[in-house]
Amino acid sequence: MSAALLLLLALGAAAPRFEPPPPGSYELPPLGRVGAHTLLGSDGAPAPLLALAPGEAALVAFVYLHCPDACPMAHAAMQALDRDLAARPELAGRVTLVTVSFDPARDTPERMEALRRALAPRGRWRFFSAESPSAIDPVLADFGQDALRVAGAGGELQVASHTLKVFLVDSERRIRNVYSSGFLDPRILRNDLLSVLAE
Amino acid sequence: MRVTTRLALALVLPGFLAPLAARADEPCQSPYIQKLVGQEDFVYVWTLGIEGLGDGSDKLVTIGVNPARPDYGKVVSQLSVGGRHEAHHAGFTDDRRQLWAGGLDTSQIFVFDLASDPANPKLVNTIRDFVEKSGGVVGPHTFYPIPGRMLISALSNAADNGGKTALVEYTNDGSYVRTIWLPAGAEYGYDVRVNPHLNRMLTSSFAGRDNYMRPLGELLKDAEAMKRFGNTMVVWDFHARKPLQTLAVPGAPLEIRWAQGPRHEYAFTSAALTSKLWGVFRKDDGTFEAVELADIGDPAKVPLPVDISLSSDDRFLFVDSFMDGTVRVFDVAEPRKPKLVLEQKLGSQLNMVSQSWDGKRVYFTSSLLANWDGIGGDDEQFLRVFGWDGKALMPKFSVDFRAEKLGRPHIMHFGQAGFFAGAPKSEEVAARP
Repeated sequence: MSAALLLLLALGAAAPRFEPPPPGSYELPPLGRVGAHTLLGSDGAPAPLLALAPGEAALVAFVYLHCPDACPMAHAAMQALDRDLAARPELAGRVTLVTVSFDPARDTPERMEALRRALAPRGRWRFFSAESPSAIDPVLADFGQDALRVAGAGGELQVASHTLKVFLVDSERRIRNVYSSGFLDPRILRNDLLSVLAE
Repeated sequence: MRVTTRLALALVLPGFLAPLAARADEPCQSPYIQKLVGQEDFVYVWTLGIEGLGDGSDKLVTIGVNPARPDYGKVVSQLSVGGRHEAHHAGFTDDRRQLWAGGLDTSQIFVFDLASDPANPKLVNTIRDFVEKSGGVVGPHTFYPIPGRMLISALSNAADNGGKTALVEYTNDGSYVRTIWLPAGAEYGYDVRVNPHLNRMLTSSFAGRDNYMRPLGELLKDAEAMKRFGNTMVVWDFHARKPLQTLAVPGAPLEIRWAQGPRHEYAFTSAALTSKLWGVFRKDDGTFEAVELADIGDPAKVPLPVDISLSSDDRFLFVDSFMDGTVRVFDVAEPRKPKLVLEQKLGSQLNMVSQSWDGKRVYFTSSLLANWDGIGGDDEQFLRVFGWDGKALMPKFSVDFRAEKLGRPHIMHFGQAGFFAGAPKSEEVAARP
């Protein structure tokens, strides 16, 4: 069992008691198309959130670094998938993992870079922040990601809670599945990616 | 460094994130939903209009239920949707910001925004083309949130108004996604519930529009029509949305409640026509078996068990029965050996039951279906609220939905005034530099 899966279990999820359905044995109907968004990369430079070539796919997780519970679960699932993909060169070049903070008041590009280093990606795993809440809010609305904000000590709006969601996006920027804490299983993520990439 | 420290702590201290497990569900809500674990401020009651009573329309009624608030026990707001649609069930989206509510007669779906002002829901969308979009599915029943979308189990179809039906999916913004018809030999539908830990979904079965829109007294005398009720449950691979197994559960198995403990691999249902409590248990080989567990009242008297509610600790199962207006509480600590611990008549008729996350407050309403209510003569319509201490129900307050000119109260869901506090309002977002 991988360290990442162990972490998922530590996060409160009992060991899953099922075998995921094989890739390609089920449908993942499109759930709408997201727009082309530009955010701040962890190097501080603006960059497209999704830059997918035909035949590629991405997993996009919205997080914030003060998140006490659900976001570490997303990090762990993404890290498990990153390790899994690294062992599958036929997939690694076609999948991008994307972690986006929607708490720009606190999660600067520098902090996202620190997160990137901590998670030590082995494959394509990009980290984003935003200039301001108004820069990230249209992205959240487009994906259907909720976020509650409260005013911080300095009056700036900070994220207080959200519903954990990770999005599978195909090369046409169509959302093909949404995962929450109840179903953030790296095996499911991998099989869904394989299903979409085989189309 | 903060991030590294957080991850390191998570890796070495499993208990660091224990609150996540404790917050994994709310009784009877989808495990994918944002939950309300504290004192609820409001109960939203999806209510059928009664001709000549008030405006006669179906409406979402908001009742104050927090004793610390001045609106305790009062009607806080009511929002009519115009017309009578056979208002029945409703469900939150996964982020709890919206409530989707269905009409079994017109197959219309009403989407209410709760986040902007939880005390005063707003109607933000009406889906009128459910039948056309879904390919002929009729009677949207259970609204079950799954990540990013709404899974709807239906009761009937447009071709013959019989019980053959489907599951239908919509995105949270109201776009149709797909229709999945129930499998041959188990075509009837009613409830749908998912156990993510097992990747298993259960569906149950009731009857088509021809039956549920017909007066109950007339229906009970029609032997042929009485044959057209569901007798099955289906076990599905949830992720694949594929049926795996059909279970024989005679007599219209209705509401489904999965146990929530991580090792509790079973669910309960009640069969309406046979008045039996059933368990659906996972076997060692991964398949499931349906087991008849107990009588609910005297089946010979057809008490018609309807809604059920399982406490968050999987200890107590509340079972309402419509014809005798009685709630029965079973101790299901040993799920294969339920023990009846309370039997109490709450009214002339009784349908829905909802309990708070901590199990200390239990809410009941009276209406089943417009043409089935009042078969016993007294068509009283109420919301009744009780405290529960594990042994007895203690009355708190009641709202007479006839005296208040509201209608027939059906399903209840909880809200909290501060649940969305801090959510940016659209004008704030637009005003920010």
